[in-house]
Amino acid sequence: MTDLREIATTPNADEKEHALVEWLRDRGSVLLGFSGGVDSAYLASVAVEAVGPDRVLAVIGRSASYPEAQWRVARDVAQRLGLSVREIDTDEMEDARYVANPSNRCYFCKTELWSKLAPLAQEHGFAVVIDGTNADDIGGHRPGMQAAREHGVRSPLVEVGMTKRDIRERSRARGLPTWAQPSAPCLSSRLQYGLSVTAERLRQVERAETALRELGITGDLRVRHHGELARVELSREMLALWLTPIPMRMIIAAIRAAGLTRVAIDLRGFRSGSLNILNEVTAA
Amino acid sequence: MNVENLERALAEIGLHGIVEVRGSLAVLRMDADGGLADDQLRFLAVDAAERSGFTHLALEVVDDADRAAFHRD
Repeated sequence: MTDLREIATTPNADEKEHALVEWLRDRGSVLLGFSGGVDSAYLASVAVEAVGPDRVLAVIGRSASYPEAQWRVARDVAQRLGLSVREIDTDEMEDARYVANPSNRCYFCKTELWSKLAPLAQEHGFAVVIDGTNADDIGGHRPGMQAAREHGVRSPLVEVGMTKRDIRERSRARGLPTWAQPSAPCLSSRLQYGLSVTAERLRQVERAETALRELGITGDLRVRHHGELARVELSREMLALWLTPIPMRMIIAAIRAAGLTRVAIDLRGFRSGSLNILNEVTAA
Repeated sequence: MNVENLERALAEIGLHGIVEVRGSLAVLRMDADGGLADDQLRFLAVDAAERSGFTHLALEVVDDADRAAFHRD
């Protein structure tokens, strides 16, 4: 969970936001790949202010890997911002290369998304397609960024050097409901590499995570799908609360009800990119 | 990755169970939570896993039916 005390004033977050406003004004109009997450919600908010609501179009790409709960947040945020939203269906599940779930799976998904958004921007006269990639994302395992580059997608948060911390701080200052929202990558990121992406497995993950939220688990949470085994990653605070007999039984029952037969709790807890680490060492 | 080392190290800190290896993930199967809500014990367990070459350690609490269905090759 994001600790409010961690969101102290960052000296130059304001300056970076000014630079972001200038960057957006220089383009004049933008089509934004919008998920309703922390980064794209913030970017949408600044874009609406910088160039006006008529010059911003937020596009949500919907597929089985996009969580229903995230979609509701995205709609809510867009409404608050007065943002024009268009929803399109993406068909990455029809691509055998994506379904095989290799370690560069995101490349195929983002190729599908941007290949639909780039022509849309041209058709409606938007100057540039942008995404919510931030400065912290650079350097990690992000094959989706290659697809963005290939389609001419720009990442203004990276270009002005805004980190996740900056974005949370400025989101809070703007009163955005997303400022303390945990990161919520797509459901396919929960599947162990090599385990094929199917609608049923994605539904199992979504049902399991929803059920755990309903039990009262807050903060960072992932149900990693390893075939018949679910590996649950919780924040350190939640581990101390839930690794006791009765709460553990509640977790096990909730996940089994979602369709996974075996349940294990990761003892280190939540780690962003956890499956990448597992894949790198196992493949070495 | 050395599963025998890991099982021995875990037993030394009071965690008696069977470790299932899934790549660099070790799944510790026990019939109780082993007191792992305690931060210090959890740290020791994860440290033992890393010293044995694993990147991940997860606890699976198994009942009799689960145990009967599980065979370690």
